[in-house]
Amino acid sequence: MAKILEGSAMKFFNKWGIPVPNYVVVMNPDRLAQLGEANKWLRESKLVVKAHEAIGGRFKLGLVKLGLNLDQAVEAAREMIGKKVGTAEIRQVIVAEMLDHDEEYYISIAGNKDGAELLLSSRGGVDIEDNWESVRRLQIPLDDTPSIEKLTELASSAGFPEGEISERVAKISSRLILCFDNEDAQSIEINPLVIRKSDMRFAALDAVMNVDWDARFRHPDWDFKPVSEIGRPFTEAEQQIMEIDSRIKGSVKFVEVPGGEVALLTAGGGASVFYSDAVVARGGTIANYAEYSGAPPDWAVEALTETICQLPNIKHIIVGGAIANFTDVKATFGGIINGLRESKNNGYIDGVKIWVRRGGPNESEGLAAISKLKDEGFDIHVYDRNMPMTDIVDLAMNA
Amino acid sequence: MSIVINKDTRAVIIGGAAGLNAARKMAEFDFLVKRPLTVQAFVYPPEEGQQKEIFLGGELKNVKVYSSLADALAENPQINTALIYLGASRATQATQEALESDPVNLVSVITEGVPEKDAKKLRILAEKKGKTLNGPSSIGIMSAGECRLGVIGGEFKNLKLCNLYRPGSFGVITKSGGLSNEAMWLCAQNGDGVTSAVAIGGDAFPGTDFVTYLEMFENDPATKAVVLIGEVGGSLEEEAAEWLAEKPRRIRLVAAIGGTCQEVLPQGMKFGHAGAKEGKKGMGSARSKINALREAGAVVPDTFGGLSKAIKQVYEELLASGVIAPEEPISDELLPDLPPKVQKIIKEGEVIVDPLIRTTISDDRGEEPRYRGYAASELCSKGYGIEDVIGLLWNKKLPTREEAEIIKRIIMISADHGPAVSGAYGTILGACAGIDMPQAVSAGMTMIGPRFGGAVTNAGKYFKMGVQEYPNDIPGFLAWMKKNVGPVPGIGHRVKSLKNPDQRVKYLISYVKNETSLHTPCLDYAMEVEKVTTAKKDNLILNVDGTMGAILMDLDFPIHSLNGFFVLARTIGMIGHWIDQNEQNSRLIRLYDYLINYAVEDEREVPVKK
Repeated sequence: MAKILEGSAMKFFNKWGIPVPNYVVVMNPDRLAQLGEANKWLRESKLVVKAHEAIGGRFKLGLVKLGLNLDQAVEAAREMIGKKVGTAEIRQVIVAEMLDHDEEYYISIAGNKDGAELLLSSRGGVDIEDNWESVRRLQIPLDDTPSIEKLTELASSAGFPEGEISERVAKISSRLILCFDNEDAQSIEINPLVIRKSDMRFAALDAVMNVDWDARFRHPDWDFKPVSEIGRPFTEAEQQIMEIDSRIKGSVKFVEVPGGEVALLTAGGGASVFYSDAVVARGGTIANYAEYSGAPPDWAVEALTETICQLPNIKHIIVGGAIANFTDVKATFGGIINGLRESKNNGYIDGVKIWVRRGGPNESEGLAAISKLKDEGFDIHVYDRNMPMTDIVDLAMNA
Repeated sequence: MSIVINKDTRAVIIGGAAGLNAARKMAEFDFLVKRPLTVQAFVYPPEEGQQKEIFLGGELKNVKVYSSLADALAENPQINTALIYLGASRATQATQEALESDPVNLVSVITEGVPEKDAKKLRILAEKKGKTLNGPSSIGIMSAGECRLGVIGGEFKNLKLCNLYRPGSFGVITKSGGLSNEAMWLCAQNGDGVTSAVAIGGDAFPGTDFVTYLEMFENDPATKAVVLIGEVGGSLEEEAAEWLAEKPRRIRLVAAIGGTCQEVLPQGMKFGHAGAKEGKKGMGSARSKINALREAGAVVPDTFGGLSKAIKQVYEELLASGVIAPEEPISDELLPDLPPKVQKIIKEGEVIVDPLIRTTISDDRGEEPRYRGYAASELCSKGYGIEDVIGLLWNKKLPTREEAEIIKRIIMISADHGPAVSGAYGTILGACAGIDMPQAVSAGMTMIGPRFGGAVTNAGKYFKMGVQEYPNDIPGFLAWMKKNVGPVPGIGHRVKSLKNPDQRVKYLISYVKNETSLHTPCLDYAMEVEKVTTAKKDNLILNVDGTMGAILMDLDFPIHSLNGFFVLARTIGMIGHWIDQNEQNSRLIRLYDYLINYAVEDEREVPVKK
């Protein structure tokens, strides 16, 4: 799952003939002024300026400014670019034409088991959730494009005026299906799709699009990076681990959860989630999510360990995992041991309790090695496969 | 009994190194349960025709690699299963081909990152063909006592700890690969083990869902209960709950669902597998799945750790009701052990092996190479040079400072002798013919012999003999040489003479005699020999080979090492010539006709063959 920014979605829409308003993406307010000299629409239309970043609730944060002329837009861009929001910095803004319009429609498509489902409503806009009963659905089987007639019928049944508007909406829907299918999209939601009836102009004013990042190998023109899937931009530490992850066989993953007291250094995509759940279920707070799997090299696990040890104010570290199929416990624990030692020498984990439970290839050697950290003054508690997997969390919370 | 795979499963693995590793792991299980190899063939075009070595216990088996699935199936009609171990960009096509091949009725895909659209297409194809598609991103399938597909179950020791050598009463279905192994362990620890365990993969659209496998377990009389491990995202767990609630079921269901932590995480934050994403309005949340399963009658503990107790409780209830007969424990001693590797038993001192070769000069088994015990880096840091390494490796001792200086000079003055001599010319010919460095330099190297550069050893050897056998008797030495050897090695030069001396020889002798305290009986003897021979003929001078040979004998180098000095030194020059020719983009050369005397027959007709 990879969410992409509005500008990238607009590019796709242009490519597949879905009408969009005029827009530009800029990183520099002066560039916007220059673009204004070159483009009539920037000088003559009302404009909207939006922070072009993965930040939720942009409206409330004042990162969407409406109804501006070009000078005001340049000013708004100047204000936004470089602004810090939490850990994020706004680097670019998207400036689009605010189309005067008569109606706001809703149109979306999302993948499901057998293909995708197309949703249409003639009552789009901010209140779509309240008008959800107006939505009409059509299942699109894989590799199948419904006829314009069928789509026109759907549009009419969804409350679009019969005739030209329904036909135009059907055509836009058809192109949306093409775009969805050919671009390996997982979901596209256009809300609102607006219409100016005087010249029958349609435009997708706002859109959210997710593409299947796993399919990028067959899309040489994908020139964007997916937006962070954690509702905020990645921190520096997260980016460092992602960078390591991209270079190795196997994987290491890390997401910070500010304010938590229990740090997770857990193995496996399935088990790591159960450890997070166990902390929450026992009334604890997690300081991060982490996962290593697929027999990653020991240095990568060491880097992950050091990153986790540097999380502020943690009280416990859960070195947990299931009984691995092929990740070597001795080798990966080698990385963890080095990381713990290094962190202790740098004064990071004073007073932190470490709880270990793991099984898998070379488990006895790995567990014996990490147990020896006790002799070096670590507050470490080591358990083998006979300890139920997440019960070390219970022990930690009761300690 | 089991589901999906059994004693009759015969597999082809499509893929390279990872597939071979899986085949070896599968063979460990085959050995444990005493069945023939599960993997009967590989498909991997880059290695077509190779035989892959796989141990079935102590027995070495060879499994052939084919360039296409069609070829593999044509030669191995017993194959009914395909395992896909390819990267994401090639896995889809291979899976499709396998599903479309008649004898294959099960395809399991380990590949992670298969695009969702492809996964859907493959599932629809499998349904159309009436075949089972497991995965993508599945670690594999296990049927205890019968068959292992993939590396599911981990190392050999774990196979035994999880009782996988014989069937139990629990089925296992998980999205996560690691947790499939954990679940098998829990069933062995708290129950009587598993019938089959299936990892369906953590993608959003798996080839086969929980319900389909639940139905199979329901129809497998040996399975009495199923442990299902799911997670947030999608609706497979809800569908499983619906299936359970639909009508009375024979099997009991114990489940754990991951992802409840998302309730307290900042909005939009997502962890875990590709498919682990909550939909709009709480659809597919871990909580909704847990509630649905509990309402349907499944036992769902509040943490994963609680699964142990839940399984134990279900097992004891099934025992009490007589559905499961008490397990007869199997003594560990009755189970086979994997034959140990030679390295391991040697390490443990349980076997003696006669060595094949012996070395006395160096050892690379530690953190870095050691020459006669000295670490290479320590030699560097303490100021030693290449001449000292030569002393260590060729003469087993560190030379003194004076000796090292002589060695260095010997190498320096014989490093090159222009392009015209046999060695350099041979290299240049090779370079001009476009031959790579090692081969072209070897071409020059093959020239080193009795007429070119290869006289150092013999010169040293005979001067030394003269010193010992004919002291103060040069004529006697020369007479012996004439009778037994021929011309004296190290004496004579094609162009140099007394009047036109070889500056290198002059320098070397003067350096050794005047600037070092080396005791030089061989060199002195050689110079005495030269006095006599040059009296006979002006060009019978002590040449560079002879000088080097004599000095090296005085330095106490072993006779066998002497030609090495020329070989080593001249290699520097020959490499230089090869580089030089390549830098200039030299073209292929051939001899001109006028440089050849064609002493051949006149043109004539070929006679009729008799």
